This record gives sequence, C-alpha cells and structure tokens, in this order.
Amino acid sequence: MQVTETLNESLKREYKIVIPATEIDTRTTQRLEELKDQVRLPGFRPGKVPLSMMRQRYGKSVLGEVLEKAVQESITEVIDTNGLKPAMQPNVDLVGEVEDGKDLEFTMAVEVLPEIGELDFSSVALEREVAVVAAEKVDEALEDLRQRSKAHEPAEGKVAENGDMAKIDFLGKLDGEPFEGGAAEDYDLELGSGSFIPGFEDQLVGLKAGDAKTVEVSFPEDYPAEHLAGKPVLFEVTVKEIKQAIVPEIDDELAKKFGKETLDELKEAVRGDLQGEYDEVSKAKVKRKLLDALADAYSFDVPEGLVSAEFDGIWGQIQQAKEQGSLEEEDAGKSDEELTTEYRAIAERRVRLGLLLAEVGQRNEINVAQDDLNKALMREMRRYPGQEAAVINYYRNNPQAMDSLRAPVFEDKVCDFILELAKVTEKSVAVDALLADPDADEGEEMPAKKSSKKAASKKAEADAEAGDGKGEEKPKAKKTRAKKSDEASEEG
Amino acid sequence: MSKTQVKVSDERMYDIVRAPVITEKATLVGEYGQVMFKVPLDASKPEIKAAVEGLFKVEVTAVNTLRQKGKVKRFRGQLGKRSDTKKAIVTLAEGHSIDVTTGV
Repeated sequence: MQVTETLNESLKREYKIVIPATEIDTRTTQRLEELKDQVRLPGFRPGKVPLSMMRQRYGKSVLGEVLEKAVQESITEVIDTNGLKPAMQPNVDLVGEVEDGKDLEFTMAVEVLPEIGELDFSSVALEREVAVVAAEKVDEALEDLRQRSKAHEPAEGKVAENGDMAKIDFLGKLDGEPFEGGAAEDYDLELGSGSFIPGFEDQLVGLKAGDAKTVEVSFPEDYPAEHLAGKPVLFEVTVKEIKQAIVPEIDDELAKKFGKETLDELKEAVRGDLQGEYDEVSKAKVKRKLLDALADAYSFDVPEGLVSAEFDGIWGQIQQAKEQGSLEEEDAGKSDEELTTEYRAIAERRVRLGLLLAEVGQRNEINVAQDDLNKALMREMRRYPGQEAAVINYYRNNPQAMDSLRAPVFEDKVCDFILELAKVTEKSVAVDALLADPDADEGEEMPAKKSSKKAASKKAEADAEAGDGKGEEKPKAKKTRAKKSDEASEEG
Repeated sequence: MSKTQVKVSDERMYDIVRAPVITEKATLVGEYGQVMFKVPLDASKPEIKAAVEGLFKVEVTAVNTLRQKGKVKRFRGQLGKRSDTKKAIVTLAEGHSIDVTTGV
C-alpha cells in the first residue's frame, strides 16, 4: 500500500492511496477459499468446488467485497498512522476504473477535528440573575387557586348576579319555529362566563328562581351554523334555581383541599414552585451567557463538512418555512444570500460550541449515567400527561430517540461543570426583569451588535435550550461516537 | 476398419452438443484435456467429433461415450422412469481447450 499526502491545509487532509493488484488478488483468493466450504453447487460435494469454478461464479461479488474492505482498512490505517481525528466520514473517490488485475487507486479526503488548546474556564466571568419570589406573587397564585376552587351552592330567593350559576330550561325559536340545538332543560349556566351567545347571559341578571323571561338575542355573524348566523331569535327561558358562587377563603381549609395541612404549608409549596420556575429561567440564562462567552472566547477552525451539514439542516427548515409562508418576519424581507450568510454563521457557532462542549466533556470524563437519563425521561414523561406509558415505550424501543435525549443531558452536565469552574457572580434582579425576553435587553445593551448576530444567538439558544436533540446536539453526538471508536481502535 | 468422415449439418451440430456436464468428475477429467458433454442417445462418435470440432474450432483426438440409464422412480404409487442420457467424453488434441461455462 502506497500512501501519499496530497493536501494538508488547516483542517483538511487528502491522501492518495494505491493498493497493488497482487495484494487484491491474494485477498480475493483467500476470501474464495474461505467461502469454499459454504458454497453448494449441484454436481459438487460441499467444499470440493474447484477454485476456478468459484472464481468464475463468485469472482465479481467477492472482488467488490474485498475492495470495499481493502479501502476501509487502508483508511483506518492511514488515520492511525497519521494520528488523525476525523470529524466526519472520510470522503473516498476512486481514481479510474476498478478492474481485475489493475492497481486500486483512490483518494481519501478527510477533515480532522480542530485542536482545542488549553481550556481555562476560571477566566470566564458570568453573572447569574437571581430573583426571589415576592410575597405578592405568592398571594396572586393563592388567589388564583381560590378562584379555581370555588363552588356553587343553591341560594333561595337570591337575585341572579354575574358569577352566579343559574339552572335554566330554555327553548329557542327562529321565526316562531323551534330550531335544532336551541333547547335544553336543567342547564347549569354560569352568568358572565361568556359560554352562550353574547347578550344572553346579561339578560338573565336580576331574575329569581321561578321567573320566566323571553330573551331576545341575535346570533353573531360568524356563528358556525350558517342558517343561524346573524339571525335574531327568541329564547323562552325559565329559571329553576339560582346557585350562588362561594369562593373559599384563603385559610387552612383551602390548604387541605390541595393536600396540605396548613395555609403556611400551602404558601411554602406555592413559593417553592415559583422559585423553581425562576431558578430554571435563571439557569437557562446563565447557560446562554456561558455559551455566548465560550463562542467569543474560543475561536478555532471548524471542520467545513460539519458546518455544511448543520447548515443544510437549518436551510431545509427555512425552505420549508418559506413554502408554508411561516418565515419569521425578521427573515422574510431578506434575500437568499443574506439568509445564507446569516445562517452559515449560526451553523458555525453551533458546531464550534458542540465541539467545545464535547471536548470539555471528554477531557473531564463527564458521562451521562443511566440515572441522568432516567431523570430526563421523567421530565419528558411529564410533558405528556396521560400518555406516560406510551412515552416510555417509545424511548425504550427507539435507541435513537434515547440518544437524542442523551445529547441535551450531556450538554447540561458539561455546562454545569464549566459553571462550577467559572466565576459566577450572583445578582438579584426583579422577577419581571428575569422573565423578560432576553433578546429585548440584549438589543438595548448592545445596539452596536448586528442584528444578525443577535438573531444568531437567539436561534442557537432556542435550539440549545429547548434541547430538542436537533441542531447543536447533533454534530456533537456524532462526534462523541466517532471519538469513542477512535479510542477503541487506538487501544486495540 | 478405417474411420469414415461424416457430414454433419449446422443444426445437427447444435443438437448434438446439448450441454456441458459440470460436476466434480467432469472437472477432474478436464485436467487431462477431456471435456464432457451431454449428447442425444442417437449421436454417434464420429458425429460428436465432427460437431465439437465444428462448433468450438478445436481438434478432437478421441470420443468415448456412455449411456446412463434413467432411474426408475415412483410417483404417487406409480412407477415411472427417467429418460436415459448419453454422455460423451471428448479428448482434445494437445494445445486445445474449451471453456465449457461460456457456452456456444
């Protein structure tokens, strides 16, 4: 085997490899010998088929197999001897025709992973925005709970008000004729809930149990049933009972309804939930800042192949969005070239971050344990209440889906690891500021930055944080796998 | 008895050389410059010689033939008989060869 390097440029390597015909021939013969015992030809006992016959019958297919193997082996050999870390599958091009008795010549183009120098995260300074749950927020949440748990109790002789429940019989007539769906008995209607056509509920206010009234209303123009839309109708309504809305007080009783012993406990739980929400947001924000900082701090060459793959993915989505006319407003006015440059930058950023995080993970032996995966699985399950079993089955039967779950978990772990090393200062902010759209204030803080950059980080973030297994995670996952196989082959 | 030259028409040639016999034994005799064919029962040695020489453009020094009786087989309780076959082992003159797998 002859190997000549024809290109060595930043991350690109190209080799020309020649495998002599004799080597291919001996390999083919060897392979045929191996196959001999398995071949069954009429007229021959197993294992007694003459080699010439074998060659005639199976020569072609065995040659193809041998060539493929030879190419594969020489590629791994080249990679090993040169100590390459390929970023993607090497690109192999055959030179000339493949023929029996001719030297096999091919070129192999490969992009290697960039060398990431010393990683020092202690210089990374970040600000973590922390918000404390305000007492009003807790009260608001409690008020919400209170409204939701209100009950209706029959009230004798009460005059109906908004918020009350009225048990009514009604019969609707269009031009003096009853129409379909326009009648019901013992219907519990909450006044002011807006569940009936506009004007109906208002006219019931002020009635008492036992009262009867003819309600005059018009169906709205956009009513789904066409024969009724826009028509004035009469409803003969009999009020049978008025139920008063009882809104529970905020006290221990309410707490018990929600499975807590005392009001304080309930408050504590509510506060905990809110705090958790805020923490989640602040964590996401810090992570975002961290990614921003890392993207700025580390600039190394990125394999073009990975970037194009990433870009193609994004571009496909954009084209799709364009066809459906659901392109983001920001992008709609731009030409294809502008979009291309913009998204290419995003793709590059994603790949760079992906490589960086993977590298950090590898150097520090950060692994995704089964525990972490299970936790992620639980989270995923909670997103689909009622279909937990289906979700679990889906992941159990789809190792690929499990992988896509693994990627964001890995990313999170690496980010946590870096955050521990980095200088993180805590800054308490108001809740509203914490929950505000991060892009809005970024725009204010850094007006000089081009909007494309802003959009870039926004979109990259959206992918990274949503952790949907697409985008940023993809090249990384691929890479980790590639690395593992590298190690294996080095050891072996 | 002197050997008489037989005239064989083109169609008859193709009739005579029905198929090569491809078995372990046939490849074995191939080592001695012999080739085995299936031929019709009524083909004579001179005919076979003429046909092989005509079709493959080779020189034949000898032809041996044999009749292989068809086996008696039972099918649904009834006796049946496979048809007999005739094989010809053709010896080629030195320096001549036939690639049996490529066909005529």
